[in-house]
Amino acid sequence: MNTIQTVCPYCGCGCGLYLHVEAGRIEGTSPSKLHPVNGGSLCVKGWNAHEFVSHPDRLKFPMIREDGRLRRASWDEALDLVARKLSGIKTSYGPDSIGILSSAKCTNEENYLMMKFTRAVLGTNNIDHCARLCHSSTVGGLAAAFGSGAMTNSINEIPEAKVLFVIGSNTTEQHPMIGKHMLEAVDRGAVLIVADPRRTQIAEFAHIHIRHKCGTDVALLMGIMNVIVNEGLVDVDFVRRRTENFDAFEEILRRFPPDVVEGITGVKAHDVRRVARIYSMEKRSMLFYAMGITQHITGIDNVRACADLVMLTGHIGLPMSGLNPLRGQNNVQGACDMGALPNVFTGYQPVSDSKTRTKFERAWRRKLPGGPGLTVMEMTDSAYEGRLKGMYIMGENPLLSDPDLSHVREAMKRLEFLVVQDIFPTETAEYADVVLPASSFAEKDGTFTNTERRVQLLRKAIPPVYESRPDWEILGDLMTRMGYRMNYRGAYEIMEEIALLTPSYGGIHHHRLQEGFGLQWPCPDGNHPGTPYLHRRKFARGLGTFIPIDFVPPDEPPDREFPLLLTTGRISFHYHTGTMCRRTMVLDREEPECYLEMNPLDADRLGLKHRSMVKVTSRRGSIKVRLYVTPRIPEGSVFIPFHFKEAAANILTNPAVDPNAKIPEYKVCAVRVEPLHAPREVEKPPVVDLEDLRIT
Amino acid sequence: MKSEWVLSKDHLSYWLRQLRNERELIGPLRDGGKDILFRTVDMLHEIVLECPSSLPSPKGFLFPQYEAMFSCRGLSLSDGSDGKREISDLRDRTRRVIFGVRSCDVSAVRLLDAFCLGKLRDPYYEERRRNTFLISLVCNNPDPTCFCLGLGTGPYLEEGFDIQMTDLGDRYFVQAGSPEAVRTVRAMNFFFRKPRKVDYEDQYEVFLSSKARFRKRINLEGPRQAILSGKVGDDFWQEVTDRCFECGGCSYSCPVCTCFTVTDRINPEGIERARLWDSCMFKGFTRMAGGVLPNEKRVQRTKRWYYHKLVHYPRTTGKFGCVGCGRCAVACPGKIDMARTATKIKGLALKEEVE
Ligand code: SF4
Ligand code: SF4
Ligand code: SF4
Repeated sequence: MNTIQTVCPYCGCGCGLYLHVEAGRIEGTSPSKLHPVNGGSLCVKGWNAHEFVSHPDRLKFPMIREDGRLRRASWDEALDLVARKLSGIKTSYGPDSIGILSSAKCTNEENYLMMKFTRAVLGTNNIDHCARLCHSSTVGGLAAAFGSGAMTNSINEIPEAKVLFVIGSNTTEQHPMIGKHMLEAVDRGAVLIVADPRRTQIAEFAHIHIRHKCGTDVALLMGIMNVIVNEGLVDVDFVRRRTENFDAFEEILRRFPPDVVEGITGVKAHDVRRVARIYSMEKRSMLFYAMGITQHITGIDNVRACADLVMLTGHIGLPMSGLNPLRGQNNVQGACDMGALPNVFTGYQPVSDSKTRTKFERAWRRKLPGGPGLTVMEMTDSAYEGRLKGMYIMGENPLLSDPDLSHVREAMKRLEFLVVQDIFPTETAEYADVVLPASSFAEKDGTFTNTERRVQLLRKAIPPVYESRPDWEILGDLMTRMGYRMNYRGAYEIMEEIALLTPSYGGIHHHRLQEGFGLQWPCPDGNHPGTPYLHRRKFARGLGTFIPIDFVPPDEPPDREFPLLLTTGRISFHYHTGTMCRRTMVLDREEPECYLEMNPLDADRLGLKHRSMVKVTSRRGSIKVRLYVTPRIPEGSVFIPFHFKEAAANILTNPAVDPNAKIPEYKVCAVRVEPLHAPREVEKPPVVDLEDLRIT
Repeated sequence: MKSEWVLSKDHLSYWLRQLRNERELIGPLRDGGKDILFRTVDMLHEIVLECPSSLPSPKGFLFPQYEAMFSCRGLSLSDGSDGKREISDLRDRTRRVIFGVRSCDVSAVRLLDAFCLGKLRDPYYEERRRNTFLISLVCNNPDPTCFCLGLGTGPYLEEGFDIQMTDLGDRYFVQAGSPEAVRTVRAMNFFFRKPRKVDYEDQYEVFLSSKARFRKRINLEGPRQAILSGKVGDDFWQEVTDRCFECGGCSYSCPVCTCFTVTDRINPEGIERARLWDSCMFKGFTRMAGGVLPNEKRVQRTKRWYYHKLVHYPRTTGKFGCVGCGRCAVACPGKIDMARTATKIKGLALKEEVE
């Protein structure tokens, strides 16, 4: 038996684990005891990470659609077809009629290649990936405020912190190993503040649990900052030396005294004051946030509010003190770093900057486009309207992950040519013209970057199953066929090229990652030990900027027809669209079906029984789910996990997006819940009209 | 007949090399991140003779996380078998010798034997067990999490081992505890010598010094009594459970736990039936047909885990279902583990006594 050190393929914690290989088969997984993130633990997904690798459903050979059916093809045939079709579309409709979805599940090297393929070979900037749907507001919001959008501290600093302020993150379920460190900190005497409308597990440990209304985060944070300013808790020195634009910001802050905030958010003014005092008085305060902040039409504003809060109190640029967005996918940080985004190259170097462009043009020997490309949602719209003709989707499943699925389905149907490259047949692959089988995390080399910017090596444990090939090989082959010669001998050579072109990855090479547990960027040169915390002495952009923001209510508040507020999220046993975890025996057995969480008061009023089947309807569609009555969710709201294709929550969600980040508002939409069987007299619940609460 | 010998350290690798001729040699090795893991030994000098306890336990060699049991062809015509039914036994028959096992893990294997080879025999375990030979090393430097001392499952064993070796500085004191072990040593007896008085004295000294190094001294009998006398209420278990992440790590990492589930994989080449590790910490573990979950509340499951180890095991086998290896303390993200919980129960019982 052999053990291979590698990285968990599920969430952004980036736990270190070992795969146990016996006679060419993966027989087990075990945690790394000394790893700085997980230190001997894994969550249930990590413990079972080996199982899906050899699942019989794995895509086994390339397939081509012929007469409406997919048939087996050879690699040559499939890749030639892709090359021919994409070139054809490019010549007849122009490069911008092709859209590329890269993947936060693939390695840095693969994302880099995909980016190079899009920009150098296809000649368009239409590349994006699912970060759009989770943390694009972070990337945009923090880039404006600090000049760099990533977790500022390291995970193993958490136990030493004194105050933890967690907002919009179900940490113990979604980032279990970060949750582990948080509990450790609480054991050591830290104060834990959780702001979440749901009573999550982490909230059970909170000293203060704030249950504000969904979508009122800006008001809450502004209220807190208002108190900080009025009570003289501002770190004046920090604001003077390291930030700018405070005056304009203070102006707007005046509009949010705690009692007004109480009216908007439903949080007692007294609690707002308490949180403000506790958070600002302790230097070792860490602020954490996740999807609860970003997935709103005001996503960017929410992030800016968080950034303003840490700048106001000067809680940044020190160990145990900073602003920490928790990234979801195992390599979503890496995919963003690698420039799988429509407006930047690797390391967030803007495509609009002609100097940067020249650098890449010289390296790649191709003319590169300068205008920003389309985002995920824009690609769908544009395909729907028939302007986008071809798409290449690598390791993503928009037909379950994007909001308003019926619209997405129609868009996919209208495409002239769709390539899907994945490890399992996905919902999206049903519409593909060519399906390419990729290798899973256990069958290839590469690197993943976790949420704390730690670049870690992924190691090949077994040869690719069936005819599958690693994504980087497929892309290299395709690029060669399209007339751009690629001859990387291994993922390490791609990493070398990345290091050459990306200042923050400048010193990251595979041989440096062999020993130990990876390096945290920025790591500018070959001797640099990596950076555990960011913005020491100086922000990436120089001075931090206060950005004035205002409160905007959610796009679709509940009303008479759709009286309940739906919020979506994840559960610990599953992961996103479930392509991997739902093929893992234990995980799928635990939560085999979708459910809807509802407060007992709402359930009583609607005459609905625990565990009965209900129909949930929004303006966009309806699904059938089992009802789960629990006080974890506040009155007036309901919660659905979005993993299940049988009852896809995203049929219901609202595709309204943040105007800048283009992130859809997954966290708030209005729905109606009805019993599926034996309808009874239904009383109308009271209506919450958020419009009345708008501040002008 | 005393089956005791002394082996010079210089001869250890020669001996292991001889053993490797007949069996796959498994030993504790350091991996990239300096973690200790048991795996096939390529280079004998890479074996780490003095190391913290491995994670996972060597249980996986007897009861792997994913074990193919048998495969079946011919249930459908599409697997190219002309409809002829063919069942092949996929039991693992590799002969292994595992070197450097800890005493607690050997004790755990004894418990597994009692469970899997009792009235109901588990053929998959039996086959692997028959082919596995354990060489244990007395721990002369227990980890901070270890508490085998109070359970009598370590740091050295009086009986129940195959071969037990004690590090005496420049030589090993070798004890053989099974007929096969005696045969193994005898087959190569030209470099083993009979122990002298000084060897016994040195061995005793090592035992003493090892015992003195334990940081945790936990006796599980106290908590058992407390539970039996009804002093541990549900609110206590609720408090413990609140920290549970439902990761299953406690069962996965415990060398005594044996929860498993069975699944069929329908491959193009035929159907494969496999069993895989499971955990009673999951609510689905006891799901009934029809979807009823008898243990839906987390607290019921945590309580059951402890009851099994502290109450039911002693009742049926006379031994605790825990060998004090301390792995659950490492693996649990919520810091719920046997040592901590036992200590808490004791505190609870003491408090009640005072009141
Ligand atoms: S916490 Fe995340 S990275 Fe760690 S084992 Fe679980 S899913 Fe994997
Ligand atoms: S209960 Fe914990 S300490 Fe006891 S044997 Fe199992 S893992 Fe080891
Ligand atoms: S290891 Fe800890 S958190 Fe995980 S299931 Fe066991 S008790 Fe719960």
